[in-house]
Amino acid sequence: MSGKGGSAPHPTTYSPSPQNQKRPKSLIFKDNVDWVRPDGRGFQHCRPAFLRTGAVNAASGSAYAEFGNTKVIVSVFGPRESKKAQMYSDIGRLNCNVSYTTFATPVRGQGADHKEFSSVLHKALEGAIILESFPKTTVDVFALVLESGGSDLPVVISCASLALADAGIRMYDLVTSVSVSCLGKNLVIDPIFEEENCQDGSLIIACMPSRNEVTQLTITGEWSTPKIHEAMQLCLDACAKLGMVMRSCLKETASSQE
Amino acid sequence: MVMEVDRVDGRTPNQLRPLACSRNVLNRAHGSASWSQGDTKVVAAVYGPKAGTKKGENPEKACIEVIWKTKTGQSGKPEKEYEMILRRTLQSICLLNIHPNTTTSVILQVVNDDGALLPCAINASCAALVDAGIPLKHLAVAISCGVVESGYVILDPSKIEEQKLKALVHLVFPNSVPSVHPKESSRVGDEPKEHGLISSVTHGRMSVDDYLHSLERGHAASAKLSAFLRKNLQSQVPSNA
Amino acid sequence: MEAANPSGDLSAEMEVDAFRRLFPLRFFDRHLVESIRPDGRPLGRARDTTLALGAVASADGSALAKIGSTTMLAAIKLEVMTPATESPDEGSIAIDFHMPPICSPMVRPGRPAEAAPVISKQLSDTILSSGVINLKELCLISGKAAWMAYLYPEERNNMNLKVDKLWNFMITIVDIYCLDADGALFDAALLSAIAAFSHLEIPVVSLDEDGRVVILSQDEGLKTSNEPVNAEKRKLTLSDIPFSLTCILYKNYILADPTAEEESVMETLITVVLDSSYQLVSLYKPGGSVLAYTSALQDCIALTRHRVQELKKILDEAMSEMEVD
Repeated sequence: MSGKGGSAPHPTTYSPSPQNQKRPKSLIFKDNVDWVRPDGRGFQHCRPAFLRTGAVNAASGSAYAEFGNTKVIVSVFGPRESKKAQMYSDIGRLNCNVSYTTFATPVRGQGADHKEFSSVLHKALEGAIILESFPKTTVDVFALVLESGGSDLPVVISCASLALADAGIRMYDLVTSVSVSCLGKNLVIDPIFEEENCQDGSLIIACMPSRNEVTQLTITGEWSTPKIHEAMQLCLDACAKLGMVMRSCLKETASSQE
Repeated sequence: MVMEVDRVDGRTPNQLRPLACSRNVLNRAHGSASWSQGDTKVVAAVYGPKAGTKKGENPEKACIEVIWKTKTGQSGKPEKEYEMILRRTLQSICLLNIHPNTTTSVILQVVNDDGALLPCAINASCAALVDAGIPLKHLAVAISCGVVESGYVILDPSKIEEQKLKALVHLVFPNSVPSVHPKESSRVGDEPKEHGLISSVTHGRMSVDDYLHSLERGHAASAKLSAFLRKNLQSQVPSNA
Repeated sequence: MEAANPSGDLSAEMEVDAFRRLFPLRFFDRHLVESIRPDGRPLGRARDTTLALGAVASADGSALAKIGSTTMLAAIKLEVMTPATESPDEGSIAIDFHMPPICSPMVRPGRPAEAAPVISKQLSDTILSSGVINLKELCLISGKAAWMAYLYPEERNNMNLKVDKLWNFMITIVDIYCLDADGALFDAALLSAIAAFSHLEIPVVSLDEDGRVVILSQDEGLKTSNEPVNAEKRKLTLSDIPFSLTCILYKNYILADPTAEEESVMETLITVVLDSSYQLVSLYKPGGSVLAYTSALQDCIALTRHRVQELKKILDEAMSEMEVD
């Protein structure tokens, strides 16, 4: 009988993958306007997006989103009974959680600080959901990042609103989200992992495109006021386009069900 | 049959290690028992039934909760697996409809592990449930069978023997009931009820025939175990009363 | 169905969905009498099963397995390790099964599912005791040299191998994520793990200045001064692959490959694992109110034999699709 290996605590190990992050190659051309992005996109081009609803049958609603190498699944459960410790509430509650698989990042188990992501996701969605439509109950939005390829949070937010729509939760509008990285003089939209690692600043917008309302705006790093304006406009335009893609995805599902 | 299997402690292949069982060993528990097979010893304590079940459990039935305490160290995945097997095994012998919406806790403390730990724990918890007066459909007896390389089956292997085995089979049977009504429906189909298997857990690779052979041998030995258990329970009833 | 009901109980007056929720046992009984299940399957048939290899780009081997709507994603990452003293010529396997909150309404964040550690343990027991992976193959530099270097450390300098014998083995870390839980979780998890192993390639590695093992990517291999220490990528040889089938025992019926609903209504489960040469790797019946008699056990084993053939074919097809790409 083979009783070895397996559960026995294995000795310390290391990953033999070459450490790309140690020598960032892209930094050299920060101020070079002719710089080409690692995946060959233009500065203002988003990655091709693949969206599909109904990825998880066990959930009330779900969606899968794939933006380049970023792959995300979001499940929505409820409206269902709130946890017993909570008090009576006239309006519904929203509960969000974002987690990473151990293989999401190149080095095993180095998922980003997703504790913070959960609360950002909550804030980004809360404004769009008609909480009055499910009093006393809770809607749970759980996200799992299967692979992290950059711009994880915006993809999670957009995917979550698609899953909410799939679950039939009433919303004022879909929430779409896009981020922009500032690399020296350049603004690049929908940055990939490598670009995020050497960015000077980042701006994430979550908005309701048909109402032209912003539900969440996060700015980190070094920015000048004109740059912020430029970046916001870039994001809002991209959000509007993403909104149309998401809408057509929902329409497709609805028409295929008939 | 080849009888060439030499066992480390000189037992015959069919011979179990000496059994010992004492009940009511702990004062504060509602029921308790210690069970030993050779040098393997487990103490089981039963608390309950207590009001309420855990969230997510069916409130129309009684709930059984099992906590496994290792001899040393923290509990990990193997202990979680033991807890699950024990919980599901005990649930299937208890009459869960009698105390709906209650929880009965069974706590197992491993005193010493010298092979056949899981069967020993099942036998101990069964005796402890009887001691606590939890209503049961019938008793369960657990036995471990080892399959050696040649396909020969040895019963109740010790730890040293377990390491040399090709495969190990833990089996749990209902005890044989000397029915008052001999024509009672204790027969299901053409097989008597005690031939039915409550639980089966195997480790290692073997042929299907090896397994069926162990099943047969395990079943034959379970009669001895259930006779021991019954004798033991009967002898202590008057002293407790 | 309601029309054919002569006994005139509630089912005649109720909508099917309501009856299904309120009287699940009777709902199933009504179907089983007709030898059919609510999803239209005969009792002994497993759900449609699909496999996709290489689903995770960042992993060394990966696979997505679907049985009905139960979905499992397995990814293998290789790390370098020192072998344990009791088995100095073997690598190692670590298996972790995860049930993230997205997979089922029963799992909440921060409260891990009870089933997850048990299935983890079952998976590693099954894979290790089936012997499907030869742990000796997890050696980075196969052949005599590395072996010698280990046996006679003082001679190591004479050989042009600078490799430290201690760091000559791979540990394969298998992470399996349940993305959608709809019954027969162990079967789907085992299938995805096996498929990920058959997709796994041991990469070309070299030693860097500090003596650490580093993977060489194909274009990089030519540029660097470090010579690769193993010639080419290789796959593991899988012998006697284990496949499993979970069945429900209910009354005298045997239902193969249950859904989550069936598992919750009829509680007695039995999981049989057979390998491709039909040796029994595991027969797992954790309790349950229905007793298993020898005839039922043999029926389950026969169903599993049939399932092994199906799954073998599905795995072979998935692998040949990979080769075409």
